Amino acid sequence: MSSNSDPAPDRREFLRQAATVAGILALPAAARAAGAPAAQTPADESAAGGAGWLCFSPDEAAWVERLVDVLCPADELTPRGVDCGLAFFFDRQLAGAYGRGERLYLQGPWRPAIPEDGYQLPLTPEAYFKVGLKAAEEAARARHQRGFADLGAAEADAFLQLLAAGQLKTPHVNLAHWFDELVYPLFQQACFSDPIHGGNHDRVFWKMIGYPGLPAVNGLNMVKYRGKPFPGAKTPRSIEDFS
Amino acid sequence: MRTLPECSVVIVGGGLASGLVARQLARQGVQTVVLERGGDNRDGAAGKIPTQRDELRWDTRLGLMQDAARETYTLRRSRDAAAQPMRRLSAFLPGTGVGGAGNHWGGQVWRWADYNMALRTRLETRYGRGAIPAEMPVQDWGVTYDELEPYHDLFERLFGVSGQAGNLRGQILAGGNPFEAPRRNPYPQAPLEATEAGLMFKETVEREFGYKPFPSPAANSSGPYVNPDGMHLGACQYCGHCDRFICEANAKGAPDVLLYPWLARQPGFELRTHSHVTGLDYDPVAKRVRGVKYLDLVTSEEVCQPGGAVVLAGFTLTNTRLLLGGGIGRPYDPVSGGGVVGKNFCYQANSGISMFFRDRWLNPFLAAGSTSTIIDEFNDDNFDHTGLGFFGGGYIGVGVTSGRPIAARRLPPRTPRWGSAWKQANADWYAHSCAIGVQGSCYPHRENYLDLDPDHTDAFGQPLLRLNFDWRDNEAKVSAYCTDRAHRIARAMGATQIGPVVSRASPFDTRYYQGSHVTGGTIMGADPATSVVSPRLQHWDAENLFVVGASVFAHNAGHNPTGPIGALALRLGDDLARYSSQPGRLS
Repeated sequence: MSSNSDPAPDRREFLRQAATVAGILALPAAARAAGAPAAQTPADESAAGGAGWLCFSPDEAAWVERLVDVLCPADELTPRGVDCGLAFFFDRQLAGAYGRGERLYLQGPWRPAIPEDGYQLPLTPEAYFKVGLKAAEEAARARHQRGFADLGAAEADAFLQLLAAGQLKTPHVNLAHWFDELVYPLFQQACFSDPIHGGNHDRVFWKMIGYPGLPAVNGLNMVKYRGKPFPGAKTPRSIEDFS
Repeated sequence: MRTLPECSVVIVGGGLASGLVARQLARQGVQTVVLERGGDNRDGAAGKIPTQRDELRWDTRLGLMQDAARETYTLRRSRDAAAQPMRRLSAFLPGTGVGGAGNHWGGQVWRWADYNMALRTRLETRYGRGAIPAEMPVQDWGVTYDELEPYHDLFERLFGVSGQAGNLRGQILAGGNPFEAPRRNPYPQAPLEATEAGLMFKETVEREFGYKPFPSPAANSSGPYVNPDGMHLGACQYCGHCDRFICEANAKGAPDVLLYPWLARQPGFELRTHSHVTGLDYDPVAKRVRGVKYLDLVTSEEVCQPGGAVVLAGFTLTNTRLLLGGGIGRPYDPVSGGGVVGKNFCYQANSGISMFFRDRWLNPFLAAGSTSTIIDEFNDDNFDHTGLGFFGGGYIGVGVTSGRPIAARRLPPRTPRWGSAWKQANADWYAHSCAIGVQGSCYPHRENYLDLDPDHTDAFGQPLLRLNFDWRDNEAKVSAYCTDRAHRIARAMGATQIGPVVSRASPFDTRYYQGSHVTGGTIMGADPATSVVSPRLQHWDAENLFVVGASVFAHNAGHNPTGPIGALALRLGDDLARYSSQPGRLS
């Protein structure tokens, strides 16, 4: 799980300064992650699916960008997570209907539960995400004397391994549960959902596994390519190609 | 509350069972009103290309399903525990909107083995009167397969079912299911094309074990089809967006394709969408239901629709909830074993084992909802249970029904959860993996039942239904036995890697989808002391009230429930036409 996308050392300082500049939120994620001054960065929206944060503060955005670059390091299969639009996907999902608790029963009474009872917190996914992120950040600072976004790739990866394994105890947030029930599913959805949702930029994960996407009209293909490589798997098409 | 003029028949729910009942009534000129809480999704984004192909929207986020924020269920695994709401619906997925769960089903249409309708008699005859444990209230249904056979036949023709007959009027046919109940006609359409994985399974079980594999009977249309009502199905395009989705190609037998458009043209039929039923107006003295109360969601007006006859045809669990909420019939009491409403709630003990074949192209995206190749040797009582310590079983098969990449990827055991190695494993195995699955029966247990939750309410302020359910000893043994058989087949298929091998066991885990085949709660039977409705589906405590759907099943087999639901619904339609002209207790 190596990464060639170590953050620039001055990245947090840049973000702190940049946050005071009007219009920073309109900067593409990739431009911010690169640590480049706004004036020198062309707004290349195609690089990461979209621009601007609806849900995240600059610090939260930096945290999530570090997260997705650890979960998805750049290698011969895909660019790094930020450039695949994964952080953008997290932001849009948490800012949208899912994050606000659509289809989630949020009436009491509330009682302690066992894991097999499923999600049993009186928090929307957006609120829970931020509570967990804050607790995880405190755990990172306690352990490394630096924030998660400032950890090197190997350090950040090791930190997440501990977190997911339930070995980082915080006063009252179950970080392993937070990771398993919320963060990790969002990560997989960010990679493999249709690019119209902001992740899976340029269908890069569909190309990686050979999922052909749309139109999926296979009345003839069903027999023709049974047991054989499927030619369309190399050039998947998404909803936007048919819109 | 505004009270409307009486109509002949009022049906609660606008799904598959309701549409079939209404179809029989319309053909016989009986005025019918159907009340459906949702809208019509077919012409919306769910039923059109390209938005139909959005896995995140319709599958992951369950865009077509019952909204748990408005109504869900609570669960407790024993009576001394507090129930917890299923805050997200995950384990099973009720539908909403015209067509109900029938618009986003996968399409398997089974005829259960004929002994299922008289399961207690069957087990006592074969294993002795004392063989059935006291805590397992299996019952005969009060109906025979032979009575239902003409309606199975009609249902298959109406829905254009594709399949290979296994038992044609007693003659066992090669390539079909030798355990199926005898049928008067072949399936209306040829079977679907098999998947590569299905062919590998077939070749292995024939060669290594001598089993008789067959293609799943499917309401995925293998060719263009016109049903007896002149309704059209297109040919299935094997798009892999079937279960959890509306078929934009009109190639799936679905109520919103085959039934409701036809019903809309019939005089005397009315479908009211956005009509959320809140209760039944029950007269316990006269033992009649005067009408159905509902909230018009478009106007917020409370309305009562009186009916000469009232039919409950909502989702399985809705039927029980309405009876308990209306105080109709005696609630089941697990302590005494008395009472009936909520009794014999069953699920299915389903399991699966991933298989990885390095050199085989399995292309999971070339699939339909029912492209499964199956054996029935270990289902229900198709095999000798002497000395096994359990009753029941399941079908075993390889069903490749979707390559949708969020949910359908499989990774070998011990794959890292992220990073380059995780990505490489996805790239290596996506097109080369599948699963062998078990659909396991679930027989009733004294402590598995439904009642009303004392603490939690829905968006309308009404009590949620509480599921008292866990995997009991019998189902854990069924699952372990059948999963082991599946594991043996997986090894014989020569998979590069297999696993993990996990069968169902307590505690019941609400987080993972295990099929939407919940049954029971308003069970049918010949004895009013042990059943809610008669063999004609007429409520024992309300002469003009009828219940249909999987809620009337006295147990759940190792097959999908839709075939028997369809047959029972069509028969009920004919019975109701009779009742409308001559009310009284049907025999």
